[in-house]
Amino acid sequence: MALTQVSSNKCCGGYQKVFEHESSELKCKMKFGIYLPPKAESAKCPVMYWLSGLTCTEQNFITKAGSQQAASDHGIIIVAPDTSPRGCNIEGEDESWDFGTGAGFYVNSTQDPWKTNYRMYSYVTEELPRLINSNFPADPEKMSVSGHSMGGHGALICALKNPGKYKAVSAFAPICNPMQCAWGQKAFSGYLGPDKSTWEAYDATVLAGSYSGPELDILIDQGRDDQFLSASQLLPDNFIAACSEKKIPVVFRLQQGYDHSYFFIFSFINDHIKHHAKYLNA
Amino acid sequence: MDLYEIRGRLDVIAEEIALSEDEDPAPVDEGSKEVSKEPFVLVTKKQPDPPASTFQRFSVGTNESLTFEPYVPSDEDEPSDQRAVAGLLLGSDDVFAGEPLDNTEEMVEGLTAKSESDPPDVFCMDCRTPTRGFQRRFGPHKNHRVVLMAKAAEEIKNELNKTKGKLGEKITQMENFASNLEEIFITVEENFGRQEQNLEQHYNDVLQTLSQRYDERASALEEEKKAKLEALYTQLLDCGKTLDTSKELIETAQELYRNENKFAFLQAVMPVIERIEQFATDEPDLKLSASLEFETPIADLSDVKQMMDSINAIPAPSAPVMNPQIPGSALQTCVRVCWSLFSDDTVEYYELYSRLVSEDISQEMDTEASMVKVKETHCTVSNLLPNAQYEFWVTATNTTGISPASEKAVYMTVPAPPVIKPRECTSCQDAALIRWESGNTNPVDSYTVELSEVSADNTESSITESIVAIPTCECLLQLQTGKRYLISVRAVNIGGPSERSQPITVSTTGTFFHLLEDTAHPCLSVSGDGFTMFYLDEELPLSEMTFSDNTFARCVAVLGDLIPIRGKYYWEVEVEESTEYRIGVAYEDTQRNSYLGGNNSSWCMRHVLTPSRHKYEFLHNGWTPDIRITEHPLKIGVYLDYDQGKLSFFNADLAQHLYTFHCQFLHYVLPCFALDNPGALTLLNGMAIPDYAKLP
Repeated sequence: MALTQVSSNKCCGGYQKVFEHESSELKCKMKFGIYLPPKAESAKCPVMYWLSGLTCTEQNFITKAGSQQAASDHGIIIVAPDTSPRGCNIEGEDESWDFGTGAGFYVNSTQDPWKTNYRMYSYVTEELPRLINSNFPADPEKMSVSGHSMGGHGALICALKNPGKYKAVSAFAPICNPMQCAWGQKAFSGYLGPDKSTWEAYDATVLAGSYSGPELDILIDQGRDDQFLSASQLLPDNFIAACSEKKIPVVFRLQQGYDHSYFFIFSFINDHIKHHAKYLNA
Repeated sequence: MDLYEIRGRLDVIAEEIALSEDEDPAPVDEGSKEVSKEPFVLVTKKQPDPPASTFQRFSVGTNESLTFEPYVPSDEDEPSDQRAVAGLLLGSDDVFAGEPLDNTEEMVEGLTAKSESDPPDVFCMDCRTPTRGFQRRFGPHKNHRVVLMAKAAEEIKNELNKTKGKLGEKITQMENFASNLEEIFITVEENFGRQEQNLEQHYNDVLQTLSQRYDERASALEEEKKAKLEALYTQLLDCGKTLDTSKELIETAQELYRNENKFAFLQAVMPVIERIEQFATDEPDLKLSASLEFETPIADLSDVKQMMDSINAIPAPSAPVMNPQIPGSALQTCVRVCWSLFSDDTVEYYELYSRLVSEDISQEMDTEASMVKVKETHCTVSNLLPNAQYEFWVTATNTTGISPASEKAVYMTVPAPPVIKPRECTSCQDAALIRWESGNTNPVDSYTVELSEVSADNTESSITESIVAIPTCECLLQLQTGKRYLISVRAVNIGGPSERSQPITVSTTGTFFHLLEDTAHPCLSVSGDGFTMFYLDEELPLSEMTFSDNTFARCVAVLGDLIPIRGKYYWEVEVEESTEYRIGVAYEDTQRNSYLGGNNSSWCMRHVLTPSRHKYEFLHNGWTPDIRITEHPLKIGVYLDYDQGKLSFFNADLAQHLYTFHCQFLHYVLPCFALDNPGALTLLNGMAIPDYAKLP
């Protein structure tokens, strides 16, 4: 698993770097951004995995979210992978912005022609952590996950499907109930096939209803003026209802006036990193 | 010729001796030796600072000195010179004149016995004299302890030092004794001087009285004499006159008798006979007009006698002097009163009077003085009122009489101990605010707070800190975090500090406060322990509600008594799922007629039960963010941090952060609690701030 450094910039006392590697899970070259706080020079640090949203690459988060200062302050490594395999020459992968390239949905595809490469769930929960833990001063016991939109959906399912693996989880405007929204239905039918029972394994609201494991403390921020909220793509109420039912602690903050953009993320990323730090540094 | 010159000469002599030792060991006649010996001996005795020469080895009165070859005069000049020195020395100090002569004989004997020319190399410790090594085996030092010269010198020096030390001590003792003696001398002298003065005065008084008495008596005597003499003289004159009259009468009678003329005789005789008869009937006064006895009574010298007697008797004492109160000498109900007498006075007993000084001037007349008899110049007066002023004065009495009363001195009993008010004491991680009641009806000067740390094994350490001169009934104490303290208070006045109050235990593990019941809305009742508040379901008619300026009038709320320090605080509130509440902080002067969170002087978390769901608001100035919470907190943690300017709420059971207000609190805020419908809230106090709450 050779790593190639693509870029390195000093930032907030640490380094914001981008690496490229050959992914065995996705059978293609993958890039990821990694922020190494100053503390990483002398000690192992916990890692927060950031899962980005539709159309994003590893660049969006590291250039727009402004997460580095808080990560530096709390001594947290942030790993931001790409959102899908790229350059796999699968027919139709670049046809739409909400499916295929840039829209991996953090699932392991079971359907041709996607199932060979589109294994983002295994990539972000298995291969990437292994890679990070063996190549960087990361504390393998201390990892958490967060994300935005489709990445928020990814973060929630990663945490709910792997009780205890992630010490903390949070999300910005996550797609909470993909089985019930247009984006989810399109993606899941493409990657997972028509059998909706297989979809349930990747639906946060469904997973929340059957969750059992260590207590989770989920922080969700949602912009009130988010166009996708009003377009019923995100459906946070369903997730909240499921969590209320299962007594999964969620603090859901409906932030007045904010939309779906990185400006919204930028505004609250500190709260989220602090939320993660509370559990990662405990 | 001064001593220095003499020494110079003697040095010369010494050199010559050394020379003569080597060159001329031959014995010389006794006479010359006798002469020559004298100065040497004198020199050794006299020399205050012996030069480093062979002279040092001379010793008087021991045989060993004889081993040294003394000076033998070789020519005519030197003896005379030495004689001059000897004479001079003898002349200058006769004390030494006898000694050398006594020793001369022995030395001479020794000389004849030995003829060694080598200087002594060892020292006999028994005989204390230098000698030669070979003499150890035989001769006078046989079986003696003989050591090398250097060692001997050292040993003897040590001994000398020891003796010197002892002598030094003795000198110090003696000096001390001498200075004591000196003092005693002066005192005795003074005392006698005073005694003499007294005696003189007394005798002068007596003499004066006597001379006065003499004058009186003498003049009385003179007057008597004069009166008597005058009387006698008058009597004498009278007698003379009577005699003259008698003689004249007789002559007239004789003349008449001789008259031949009978008629004339008869004519003239009748008046004469009448006169003679009359005269004869006049009994002449032959008594002495003045008494022969002395009229002056025997002098009454009893008063003089009394005076004479009183020369040795003691005078009545003068008024004693009251001492001011010694701080710390008083207790709550008793004071120790001290006074002094004049050193000349002899006193058999004192009478100590005391009277309560009333602050209220109108009552002063009512308090009566009480009196006790004491032999000493101090008295512990008990059964007094605490924190009260008493006047004391004293008279001294001896056999002769009673002194005037002393000046009055005011003493004060110490106050009664204060009473700590535990419900009004509040603390946090690094400070405590202690409040107490004076415990005394009249004001005290100040209070002292004493604190001691209680260690983990419950043993109380000694007082670690006292804060003194606290003017009011409360004190803010800086403490260390995570400790347990026992804090008590004393009240202090001029008389000293009171006993310690009942202590209060303060733990600095977390925030501790009670509810301020006087701020509670009339519908809100607070449990006996002061930590649970109830809003009962009974509708209270408005007429039965009593509002004050401080009570919440609209919102059924109460404030907590948080310590006024800009620190970090954490407390928890237990709620029920159905309880509608407002929990947070508010400025002390937050409007009492508005709802908590509805104004800009309060910040709170509000729980509202809507038909569809639980609604949580985080209210300040009437505005709340839109926040959904899936798990309904039953124990709410409130974290207040002035430095970071934040107020955070947590689901304490889950350690879940719910919301944080960011606000620079301009004034001190107090915890506030409100119930929007009937129910109860329980305040949990004293727990440490959880780590997650403190995260930046």
